[in-house]
Amino acid sequence: MSDPLLRVEDLHKSYGDETVLRGIDFELERGDVEILSGPSGSGKSTLLRCVNRLTEPDSGTIYLDGERVSGAGTDVNELRRQVGMVFQDFNLFLHLTAAENITLGLRRVKGLGKAEARERAMEHLDRVGLADQAGSYPAELSGGQKQRVGIARALAMDPKLMLFDEPTSALDPELVGEVTSVMRELADEGMTMLVVTHEMGFAREAASRMMFLDQGQIVERGPPEQLFQHPEQARTAEFLQRITQLHGGEST
Amino acid sequence: MAVELTPVAAPLQGGLVDAASRFFLDNPDWGYVWSNRDAILDATVVTVQLTFVSIVLGFLIGLPAGVAEVYAPAWLRVPVETVGVVVRAVPILVILIYMFYVFSVSSSPFIAATFALGLRSGAYQSQIFRGAIQSVGEGQMEAARSVGMSKLEAIVYVIVPQSLRRSIPGFQNEFTIVLKDTSIAIILGVTELLGTAEDLFLQQNRTGTALELILAISLVYFVLTVTTNRGLEFAGDYFGVPTGENA
Amino acid sequence: MSYAEDLRRVRTREGRSVGSMVLIALGGLFWGYLLLRWLINWEWVPFGTPGEPLVSPETLGLTGGTATAFQSLPQLAEGAYITVLITVLSILLGLVLAVPLSVARVYGRWTKYLSLSFTELIRGTPLIAQLYLLYYGLNLSQFFRGLTQFGPFTVRTPVWAVDLGPLKVQTALWVALIGFTINSAAYQAEYIRSAIESVDPQQLVAARSVGLTQREGILHVVLPQTLRFAIPGWTNELVYLIKYSSLATFITVAELFRRADAVASDTFDYTAMFTVVALVYIGIVITATRLMGYVEDRVALPGLGQTRGRS
Ligand SMILES: Nc1ncnc2c1ncn2[C@@H]1O[C@H](COP(=O)(O)OP(=O)(O)OP(=O)(O)O)[C@@H](O)[C@H]1O
Ligand SMILES: [Mg+2]
Repeated sequence: MSDPLLRVEDLHKSYGDETVLRGIDFELERGDVEILSGPSGSGKSTLLRCVNRLTEPDSGTIYLDGERVSGAGTDVNELRRQVGMVFQDFNLFLHLTAAENITLGLRRVKGLGKAEARERAMEHLDRVGLADQAGSYPAELSGGQKQRVGIARALAMDPKLMLFDEPTSALDPELVGEVTSVMRELADEGMTMLVVTHEMGFAREAASRMMFLDQGQIVERGPPEQLFQHPEQARTAEFLQRITQLHGGEST
Repeated sequence: MAVELTPVAAPLQGGLVDAASRFFLDNPDWGYVWSNRDAILDATVVTVQLTFVSIVLGFLIGLPAGVAEVYAPAWLRVPVETVGVVVRAVPILVILIYMFYVFSVSSSPFIAATFALGLRSGAYQSQIFRGAIQSVGEGQMEAARSVGMSKLEAIVYVIVPQSLRRSIPGFQNEFTIVLKDTSIAIILGVTELLGTAEDLFLQQNRTGTALELILAISLVYFVLTVTTNRGLEFAGDYFGVPTGENA
Repeated sequence: MSYAEDLRRVRTREGRSVGSMVLIALGGLFWGYLLLRWLINWEWVPFGTPGEPLVSPETLGLTGGTATAFQSLPQLAEGAYITVLITVLSILLGLVLAVPLSVARVYGRWTKYLSLSFTELIRGTPLIAQLYLLYYGLNLSQFFRGLTQFGPFTVRTPVWAVDLGPLKVQTALWVALIGFTINSAAYQAEYIRSAIESVDPQQLVAARSVGLTQREGILHVVLPQTLRFAIPGWTNELVYLIKYSSLATFITVAELFRRADAVASDTFDYTAMFTVVALVYIGIVITATRLMGYVEDRVALPGLGQTRGRS
């Protein structure tokens, strides 16, 4: 198969008279880990949310695995089954334990039986190092643990693509590492990922590519070293320099 | 148009001083109350039944209405909201009359009263649930949608269970309001606590013991409201799930 | 589309202003009619006949229940007057009692328990049982019957009360006022208590630190903030009293509900009579809510929150 895993064509989105995305085109190959970077308000979250249509784009087309998944006659729920999402503020289901957070989707969406769902949930909790917290409610977990459950919840659905919207921004600095290391393992295992993050250490080490978004447009795109060392655009250089000062080179 | 202004209490004689001095100084007639304890007990059962059935009916009306007020499209939401505003603006007394004489939902006063109290409670419960749903936060809906659940599935499995837990305090209020307001069903002749007390002192011509009878049934109401509140508090703790604001 | 976006869409300015214009126009008609009717009924204006509609229902071609309801409008208006009277007087008198009750509840030593027992007993029993206790149990009506002949309790005679002969005013009304005042005091005390508790305790500390006594601090610093917090609760209380004033019918007070009930049980025109009555209650309730919303906006202070709900 020669189709890219994700293809986004000419995506536009406005809120009222505010244009947030103005013609976004890009492709992700299988196994790509792409960092989405850019100043606040540049449209990163909007772009990410358009990909699984939590936000409905005004125009443009999205292809997943060669199939059109946006526009008339497509099933959003089917798209979202194939695309996992991890949120900045975790959004764990507050009334469910860590394990139940994972089994809910498995049972209701994938239609698995109780025992099978439970088994799968435990596997994924184990994978993010939280098997011992299966019975804890979100309020009883630390931020880093919550986010790892969030990742496990998305992974359990067997997605083809994972979207991360600033997964470590709400965490205390000492908890960032436990989440980025799970993400790095995931990248090593070949998961295709589109990640909004300011963790430049993670970007340098795990990303295959990086795109810089400004005012709703992709300003520059390429391997991380290239963007860090020889950016073509002054805007990119300035932004990355500032962000590197703030969020360090090496992630712990 | 003759408006009947003759006091029902015409047979009552004496005054505050008489009533009070007889009660506090002479001999309160608790014997009459005690000899009618079976009637009062039966009436207590009626009151509890009326409360319970009305609350359940109110729940069946209020939960979907609350969900509709948040998530339904305008063609459904606007009528639901409007009916709610109207029902909440009208006295329960008028709603009782309406159910019995206008809609004639049943020839049984008890059933008509259930409909009235249930409908009214539904109108208030919808607001409790609406508030609770709104306090759940959009992230929960998005997270549910992001694993591929439909909007309805997200509402049923994620939003509603969380809002139910958040509605317990409001529900507690609602329960005691309905319990107390069952007494107004006396207008349809339901023999709940107050109606029974009235029968005992008016129809049996024992107006002298009105004070004792009313105090006795007030005590029953008080015990019922306190018990209900404690019970629901316990339920709240029992079903409660630790919820941090950000998770 | 998210819920928040939805809300923003619904609550657009244009939608609101058209709606409020219609509402204000309807409100003007409603209160205009009531006012006119009261003036005619009390013979304060040189036209119209007390108790008689301005035009007869026959002239308008009305028949059946609609005619009965139309013919009864003057009585219903008079009933609405009693309803409003009971509501306004008892909420104000209730407030007068509620402030010391709530202050005692929060700051009192042993008065705390007095206040607590009072509010819990009142809130734990039905309002109608309280009215029954005053009216049938304590026979308060007789007590007032004795008193009305003396000065302080005689009021100007509304036309409808003439039937009552020398008593001038229904003594049961006074019983109702006492009942509603006591009841409302308990609920208002709860609102004010929770409002006091939501005022930052540091406010009182700050007041003490500039040399105010505890009493002065409560009076000049805590309570003024509290009363603003209490407005939404107060709106609820007002709506509650408007609706529950109908319970005065059980102790024979000729308020709105009783007027309609009297006619309906004679003529069996329940539908027409109680539809009109429901509309009148809705009119009064919506007016009250709107007015309180306006008050709330006017006295709002930046940075001060809200409390809500009656139980
Ligand atoms: N639901 C919405 N309604 C209206 N405007 C919105 C909405 N969501 C986003 N916007 C606007 O779109 C623009 C881009 O928002 P977006 O959240 O995509 O930016 P971002 O790049 O993720 O920023 P940040 O780094 O702060 O998260 C912002 O100006 C924002 O105000
Ligand atoms: Mg963002």
